[in-house]
Amino acid sequence: MSEPNPIIDPNTPAGMLEGDLVKQARRGDFAAYDELVKRYQQRIYATIYHMTSNHEDANDLAQESFIKAFQALPSFKGGSTFYTWLYRIAVNKTINFLKQRKNRQHMSLNDLDFNAEHDPDLMALISDKTPVREVGLTELQQKLNEALLKLSEPHRMVVVLHDVQGVSHDEIAEMMNCNIGTVRSRLFYARQQLQGFLAEYINPA
Amino acid sequence: MKHSDNNFKTLRQLLKLKQHEVPPPGYFNTFSDQVISRLQSGEGRAQSSTERIADQAPWLAWLLQLFETRPGVIGGFATSMVVLLVIGVIISERPDSLPKNILTATADSQPTPSLAAVTSPDLGGVVQASGIVASTNPVTSLQPVTTLFGQAGGSSGLFQAASFSPTGSGN
Repeated sequence: MSEPNPIIDPNTPAGMLEGDLVKQARRGDFAAYDELVKRYQQRIYATIYHMTSNHEDANDLAQESFIKAFQALPSFKGGSTFYTWLYRIAVNKTINFLKQRKNRQHMSLNDLDFNAEHDPDLMALISDKTPVREVGLTELQQKLNEALLKLSEPHRMVVVLHDVQGVSHDEIAEMMNCNIGTVRSRLFYARQQLQGFLAEYINPA
Repeated sequence: MKHSDNNFKTLRQLLKLKQHEVPPPGYFNTFSDQVISRLQSGEGRAQSSTERIADQAPWLAWLLQLFETRPGVIGGFATSMVVLLVIGVIISERPDSLPKNILTATADSQPTPSLAAVTSPDLGGVVQASGIVASTNPVTSLQPVTTLFGQAGGSSGLFQAASFSPTGSGN
């Protein structure tokens, strides 16, 4: 027997549609904007974190992205979804930040959750067929982040959005203000590069 | 190609590890509060002029960003602006670069009615066969003159010769 879904009052911010929340937030309603932040904070934070490999930077950039979005709300025309528009702000902010700190990259990695050790894909990877079995997940996490940081910002962003976040090619093209062909070619090139950087963990023994 | 796809499949499996990286417990419980308190403290009131520029003209923001991250670029940009300015000044001061006088150019191609024709007592002669009326207005002087009934030149009766001789001899 499943638990009953909690009843959400449509008149409260939690029960409102995204478009209504945006309208209210544009009028300066902080409660409405708080709800929008809550809806997207995890995805925005995760994208920035995977780009920077640094929790403190991700925290600052995520907060600044939401603040900038609130400031720019009057200019939001509704041509795209709020979610795509917000992502675009976060993507631009992150890429600009990374260009500025190019020569002083410092990793501050988050811990792996409990489910990592039970993920079937990861378990399949850490099998007796690959050299990955030789290393622990934490070391693998370190190597993976180092490899990602070697990619250029646009290539890293495409891999993070598509292969880690599961965003579609179309949405990535809209978020990064480029065409879908560019997204596909960047993804292919980035994967090829990553494959080279992580050859000893990927290629069969 | 299939081998490459298989490798990408392994790579994508490896990338799934990133999904298990999580921030400290309870991090998202306070995140939105922090954002809202920063907004309420005044950070969200108005965009700075730089941010407005970035929103309205991304290319200008990109240029400013480029100047900030690569100081050498601003030197090159300033030098090219000065060179363009100097070239502009040199070209503008060359005497042969002055545009030809439009009236002179007209005179080369078409005969201008002589002053004598204007001062002639016979004003009907003002309407020349060329159809050009001498005038101080350079625009109207180039207009072909037609009469009310489309007859260019000639004495149509609309123009009458002025006579400066006294009507009476005083006798």
